[in-house]
Amino acid sequence: MSLIINKLYDEQQKQWLIELKGEVDIYTSAQLKETLLKLIEEKQETVKIDAKSLDYIDSTGLGVLIGVLKRLKQYDKVLKITNIKPSIKKLLNITGLDKIFVIEG
Amino acid sequence: MSKSITDYIKLSIPNKPEYVSVVRLTVAAIANRMGFNVEDIEDIKIAIAEACTNAITHGKKEDKNNFDIEFIVKDDKLTMVVCDSGRGCITDEISVPNLNDPKEGGLGIFIIKSLMDEVEITSNLGKGTIIRMSKNRGDDN
Repeated sequence: MSLIINKLYDEQQKQWLIELKGEVDIYTSAQLKETLLKLIEEKQETVKIDAKSLDYIDSTGLGVLIGVLKRLKQYDKVLKITNIKPSIKKLLNITGLDKIFVIEG
Repeated sequence: MSKSITDYIKLSIPNKPEYVSVVRLTVAAIANRMGFNVEDIEDIKIAIAEACTNAITHGKKEDKNNFDIEFIVKDDKLTMVVCDSGRGCITDEISVPNLNDPKEGGLGIFIIKSLMDEVEITSNLGKGTIIRMSKNRGDDN
C-alpha cells in the first residue's frame, strides 16, 4: 500500500485539485512534498485536497502540509482539505491544524 | 477469579521507512485480537507509527541496523515499547504546537501523548531513546 496522487488544475476556480489515495507516512511523504511544491511553482494558486480516499496520514505528512501552507501563504493562497475521514479529522483537531488549514465538508 | 495473563510479542524492524506500515498492520492485528474498538485501534496505529518514525529519523541512520519494538499484552491494556540506538536527542518536554508559527517537524511526540493513556520517554545522549506507551481498553468494548 502506498500513495497515489491525482492532480488537476481547475481553470474556473483557479485552484489545484489534488486527490490523495492511500497512506501518507515517513515512506511516502517526500513524494507528496515534491509533487505539491512543484505544482505551486508552476501556478501559485490555492491547493484543494480531496481526502476521501486518504486512509492514513502521520506527523511527517502533516509536516509536508504545513510546509505547503507556508509556501502558499507567500502568495496569499490557502490550503483546503475536503472529505476527511474521522480518524484524520481527530489528528487535525488535536494538533490544532484544523484552525490553519481550510477544512471543508 | 480470573487469572491475569501477560503475553509478550517482539519485533525487530529495519531502520527503513517502508517497514513502518508493516508495524502498523501488526499492531492493528494485536489490538483487534485484544478487543479494542475501531477508534482506539486507529489511535494505537498512529502512535506506534510516530514512535517508529521517530526511531528511524533520530536513530542511527545506517540502513543495515534494526530497532526493536515490544508489545506487552495484558487483559485490558496494551503497552508498546520502541527502542532505538540513536543519538538520544528527544526530551520528555514536548510543547503544544504553536499555530502562529507552525513547524514542519516535532508533532510526532505530541501526537503520541495526545492519543495514548500513558507515555514515558527515556532518552540518553549517545545511547538512544526508549518510548514506552500504553492504551487501556475502555469499558465500552
